[in-house]
Amino acid sequence: MTDHILEVRDLHVTFGHGAKRFEAVRGVSFDVRRGETFGIVGESGSGKTTIGRTVIRVNPATSGSIRYEGEEITGRISKELDRKIINKIQMIFQDPMASLNERAKISYIVSEGLQGRGIPKQEIEQRVTAALNEVGLLPEFASRFPHEFSGGQRQRIGIARALVMQPEFIIADEPISALDVSIRAQVLNLLSELQKKRGLTYLFISHDLSVMRFICDRIAVIHLGRIVELCETEELFRHPLHPYTRALLSAVPVPSPDYARTAKPLSYDPSIHDYSTDKPAWTEIVPGHFVLGNNKELDGYRKQMEK
Amino acid sequence: MNRTILSVRGLHVCFFLRGRTLHALRGIDLDVYEGESLAIVGESGSGKSVLNKNFIGLLDQNGRITEGSIRYYGMYDKMKHNPAGGTDEEGRPYCDLAKIARREDWLRIRGSEICMIPQDPMTSLNPLKTIGWQISEALMLHHGMKGQMAKDETLHILEEVRIDHPEKRYHQYPHELSGGMRQRIVIAIAIACQPKILICDEPTTALDVTIQAQVLELLKELKSKYNLTIIFITHDLGVVASIADRVAVMYAGDIVEIGMAEEIFYEPRHPYTWALLSSLPQLGQRGEELYAIKGTPPNLFTEIQGDAFAARNPHALKIDHLEQPPYFDVSPTHRARTWLLDERAPKVEPPPALKKLRTLGGAVHD
Ligand SMILES: Nc1ncnc2c1ncn2[C@@H]1O[C@H](COP(=O)(O)OP(=O)(O)O)[C@@H](O)[C@H]1O
Ligand SMILES: Nc1ncnc2c1ncn2[C@@H]1O[C@H](COP(=O)(O)OP(=O)(O)O)[C@@H](O)[C@H]1O
Ligand SMILES: [Mg+2]
Ligand SMILES: [Mg+2]
Repeated sequence: MTDHILEVRDLHVTFGHGAKRFEAVRGVSFDVRRGETFGIVGESGSGKTTIGRTVIRVNPATSGSIRYEGEEITGRISKELDRKIINKIQMIFQDPMASLNERAKISYIVSEGLQGRGIPKQEIEQRVTAALNEVGLLPEFASRFPHEFSGGQRQRIGIARALVMQPEFIIADEPISALDVSIRAQVLNLLSELQKKRGLTYLFISHDLSVMRFICDRIAVIHLGRIVELCETEELFRHPLHPYTRALLSAVPVPSPDYARTAKPLSYDPSIHDYSTDKPAWTEIVPGHFVLGNNKELDGYRKQMEK
Repeated sequence: MNRTILSVRGLHVCFFLRGRTLHALRGIDLDVYEGESLAIVGESGSGKSVLNKNFIGLLDQNGRITEGSIRYYGMYDKMKHNPAGGTDEEGRPYCDLAKIARREDWLRIRGSEICMIPQDPMTSLNPLKTIGWQISEALMLHHGMKGQMAKDETLHILEEVRIDHPEKRYHQYPHELSGGMRQRIVIAIAIACQPKILICDEPTTALDVTIQAQVLELLKELKSKYNLTIIFITHDLGVVASIADRVAVMYAGDIVEIGMAEEIFYEPRHPYTWALLSSLPQLGQRGEELYAIKGTPPNLFTEIQGDAFAARNPHALKIDHLEQPPYFDVSPTHRARTWLLDERAPKVEPPPALKKLRTLGGAVHD
């Protein structure tokens, strides 16, 4: 039996009412295995952040289920479970400082999740120092303010803020998209190192497949609130089936002029799917490789896999 | 090789901040050729934007060119009687952009000769005016087009930059469009001005990869159609392989290596170029560390001794800490500022992982 830390089933998330009603997540199912890095890739607006925020219970699920270590965490849950989720699942963002009070000291920013729980001040200080140390920042940074830090350092502070809660599961939402290439590498290495050291599980959200190929064990491709394909990373790069996956892969920049100059990105036209009578289903086409398609498309995909 | 359209020599730019001086450009030499696309690559703060702002006279108030010249050859004899005008050794008339002081003169250059597309399209779009109005205005200002003619041309340009439903978009406002679409509108406005040089300052950094790929395709198309000269600025070497004819690598206010794209990707000579290429995730191996450049770029408030990259360079020689290297020619089109190219230097091989670059292909071939 595979050990699933997170199980998402037929998740729907809707915003607004009446004419303004908008379904951002439209029936998404996936499992995250303990200790792996599971990627969700898709264009902006496809619902990636919404899924992350629903897992940490910031957005309510409209329907469907999310189980964390076997326990349902959508809807009304017990106080203890809520407390557990807050500790065990943490989210880091593209720019963790963007939404934060620029007047708060780093010590406060990092320890915010620990405040108001009756933890002795001294212990909080110790945990902040330990977390800063773990992400490669000096303890004296605790008394400084966000504006004194570069983008890469800010992201480290964001990671420290998550680590201080001693989480098991981290949702990393485009953690390096805003960073310079050289700094990206440092932050990616830090995330990998922490994963090894602490046995963390990552849900890694990004629109950049070249980064995901490097860091993810498995990848789910999402388009307009629906996962269209899911499999192991190398399998996805070797045998992409869904036309949207193929378009996304063809757009990944290749740093080699001989190839890049002649390669034409494919475009994806959703109207190629004729789902009027033959309806699409989420199907495991070979073990571990899932794709969304109707019978006709699935037959085509199977033929493609045999080649 | 085509004719030179822009020629920068010994360019120094300083910023003055509360009594302190930041030396942002430290002696840039650069030729840009008509009809080429040149990528300028380097980390944040290396001086890419500052260099290019000089070409459109938009250096920040506290900044000044302290030395050097920027000869622009695109205006032929229009600037004959301008104090910035002149004729070079070969008898070609130019205008020295470093000497232009009057706002009126810049207005004749900015937009109609040299145009810049900023990273965030919203900064150059007017949120209160329709898309159609903004493109028509450019046509009116630069070509005196009016009324129906301007409208027809606007719709034509919208098609050219691959905007769907041009008639509908014409009446829409910037906030009604997606990021990728806005970037196309900014490109449309630039096209309406018909500049000779189009500077794109990280135009795709904030965009999704699919949109990024489309914008790059669009730029390539427009380039050949209008014989545009494109300067493409980015921090990500990964994105420029498809568009760049040549690549200039900037570090701490200086161009440390420049060459044809093939030369930079397949035969890089400067350790900084090696480092930039090595840190691309495309070269990484899952489960292993990704190469990361150690440390941070030097402080530009203090004078730099020797090779600016020495402190972060695992291959640094003793002399790198003492004396700035000159340019060494690697080929007629390729040169690098590194002591490793001196004949007395020990032989240092580039990181073996870079060999992969030659054979990299995409995941999807069609
Ligand atoms: N609080 C909200 N209210 C209304 N719409 C929202 C809200 N949050 C997200 N959305 C919409 O849901 C869609 C998915 O957004 P998001 O999950 O942020 O996408 P991604 O992270 O993939 O870019 C978008 O169309 C977005 O505008
Ligand atoms: N108005 C200014 N005042 C002071 N320093 C500036 C100003 N504009 C740019 N700089 C400095 O000049 C250097 C180069 O900046 P820039 O050209 O914007 O870098 P890049 O575009 O490569 O990221 C940086 O150190 C930056 O901080
Ligand atoms: Mg998001
Ligand atoms: Mg810049």
